[in-house]
Amino acid sequence: MKISVVVPAYNEEKTIVKVLNDLIKREFEFVVVDDGSKDATNKIVNNIIKKYNKGYIYKHLLNRGLGAALKTGIEASLMKDADIIVTFDADRQHDPNDILKVSKPIINREADVTIGIRDFNEMPSSKKFGNRIMNLITLIFYGINVNDSQSGLRAFNRKAAETIIINARDYGVSSEIIGEIKRHHLKLTEIPIKTIYTDYSMTKGTNTGEGLKILVKLIINILK
Amino acid sequence: MMELYQIISIFIGTITIIMCILRFRDGQMSLGMLLLWILIWFVIIFISIFPNTTNYFALYTGIGRGLDFALILGILLSFYLIFKMYTKIEIIEEELTELVRELAIQQNNIKKDNKKDKDISKKNIK
Repeated sequence: MKISVVVPAYNEEKTIVKVLNDLIKREFEFVVVDDGSKDATNKIVNNIIKKYNKGYIYKHLLNRGLGAALKTGIEASLMKDADIIVTFDADRQHDPNDILKVSKPIINREADVTIGIRDFNEMPSSKKFGNRIMNLITLIFYGINVNDSQSGLRAFNRKAAETIIINARDYGVSSEIIGEIKRHHLKLTEIPIKTIYTDYSMTKGTNTGEGLKILVKLIINILK
Repeated sequence: MMELYQIISIFIGTITIIMCILRFRDGQMSLGMLLLWILIWFVIIFISIFPNTTNYFALYTGIGRGLDFALILGILLSFYLIFKMYTKIEIIEEELTELVRELAIQQNNIKKDNKKDKDISKKNIK
């Protein structure tokens, strides 16, 4: 089965090399979606693709947000005949060994979609708060209670990737995907994954940030 | 006994809140916007049910009751227009995203074609 790893990237020049090298080492096909980065992300990724003759890059000319980037990556993977599509954050917070772990239930045909759940006990308390809130919001608006609604590590089989419709362009996409899973009666399995908290990954991921940050972003969104 | 305007604004408010929640669920509205619109419409519904609360403000500003109707109507209308505009902008944003996506995919295809052409021309030279 062909696994395609979708890596949405926005200004990730510091971490993208390491993430892609990890993927190449494990011989995964990957699709990077450069979401209008203003730093050297695009150049770095193009160099890696040329060097190893592996992987693809899709460049958004304008920054359109995480949801838009994921949609492009999933569409591209479907075009490249992927059987399993895994979404993987570019900030090095995921362990690349978990890719096979989340793909396994799909290979064994036990699930249509899997979501890697991070251990909330290991999560810094500032992040825990924001994630709890987003879990609650997912429960209220989509009526589905999951352990980690905001996880960036997910796997879809072809059927799921084709049926799920992503409209949200920003960080709301994670909750929307879960809502779509419910709407289309897809089989969801949650799998515990490792999370690497570095100083860098701590600064990334707006809605996994502290509750205050969410509040500020909400206000900015209103004023925008 | 409820007045007609009360029934109308409660009716419009409830429908708009439901519409907002549906739009949010479809990912067509951000959480912040949803909360803002729910708040605005709750205030409108509250004022229509308890119009006497506006008397405090009327006393303060010296506005007589006669103007109230026009004011409420005007505010309702402008909120409606803002909502319309917000929806329009949202549609434009969505179209822009679609355009950016399509460009990204086409660019990738062109790159692939160029590579193929190069490979072919290399073979021809050999």
